[in-house]
Amino acid sequence: MSLFTRYKGTLKILALLIIISPLFGIILAEKVNYHEPIDVAAEKLHLHELDIYHTPFSDYEVPGLPPTIGYIIAGFIGIAVILGIGALAAKRMSK
Amino acid sequence: MHIPDGYLSPAWCIALYIVTISYGVIAWRKARHVINSETVTALSVLAAGIFVAMMFNWPIPGGTSLHFVGGALAGILFGPWLAFFAYVMVLTTQAIVFHDGGITTLGANIFNMGIVDVLVGYAIYRIVSRALGGTRKARVIGAFLGGWLGLAAAGTVAGIEIGLSPSFPYAVRITVPAMAFWHTLLGIVEGVITAFVVDYLYEKQSPLVQVALKLSSKTYT
Repeated sequence: MSLFTRYKGTLKILALLIIISPLFGIILAEKVNYHEPIDVAAEKLHLHELDIYHTPFSDYEVPGLPPTIGYIIAGFIGIAVILGIGALAAKRMSK
Repeated sequence: MHIPDGYLSPAWCIALYIVTISYGVIAWRKARHVINSETVTALSVLAAGIFVAMMFNWPIPGGTSLHFVGGALAGILFGPWLAFFAYVMVLTTQAIVFHDGGITTLGANIFNMGIVDVLVGYAIYRIVSRALGGTRKARVIGAFLGGWLGLAAAGTVAGIEIGLSPSFPYAVRITVPAMAFWHTLLGIVEGVITAFVVDYLYEKQSPLVQVALKLSSKTYT
């Protein structure tokens, strides 16, 4: 049974979650000034992130798109990459 | 929870890459006989679910908050060996495509989330759910405690790694309390979500659970 047949329900839920994700990942996060415990620790030690490589979708943004729409597109890109790797590996296993 | 480039000393980065790769070799040997196209597909769906769940920040007033990590959930469903590979997929994609977590610290991030969180969450779930009789209620309580304490352990270990960097003497006295306190407090939310999702998946007999049950009957864990 294929990925899209067997996991149709799960994939639909994931797609729905990606569509509403900017509400939590962008809008409410900005409203409450979201930062993680690691940021608290880093601030106390004056640690700074090193920018040693670049990706076009840094921080789940898509160049040229508003952050909320970019976040949604980034979500779909992410699951496409993961499911794509899985599908390739599964195909190799079945040979 | 994702440690970016620049937060860990080179020695820590290398050491944690070595530990993580070594664990990966053991995980592969332990799970090799159950890895087939069905298992890989199920793992990739789980990995996609974890990836999406990590996009949901918990908006807690005051700001210091987290997102779902899911180590216990992955361990409960697929056991610690296979769950490791789901995290390799998620965290590598996040680092390479979205710059979420560093490349030099990828070994550390997989170690914290894909090994520590998974192992602690899974072990607590197994102990608690068995001790309480293996009922639905036992499963929910075990998943809650596994999700909560797994995240607390992973956050504490990340604090140790950052704090023991030779560049910052005595920093561990700052990083460990900060990381342990916040992850233990906020881990309660992780526990609640883990319990809810585990209960939902088992009650609905999700295809993920069907594959997981088939695997557990082969006693690979």
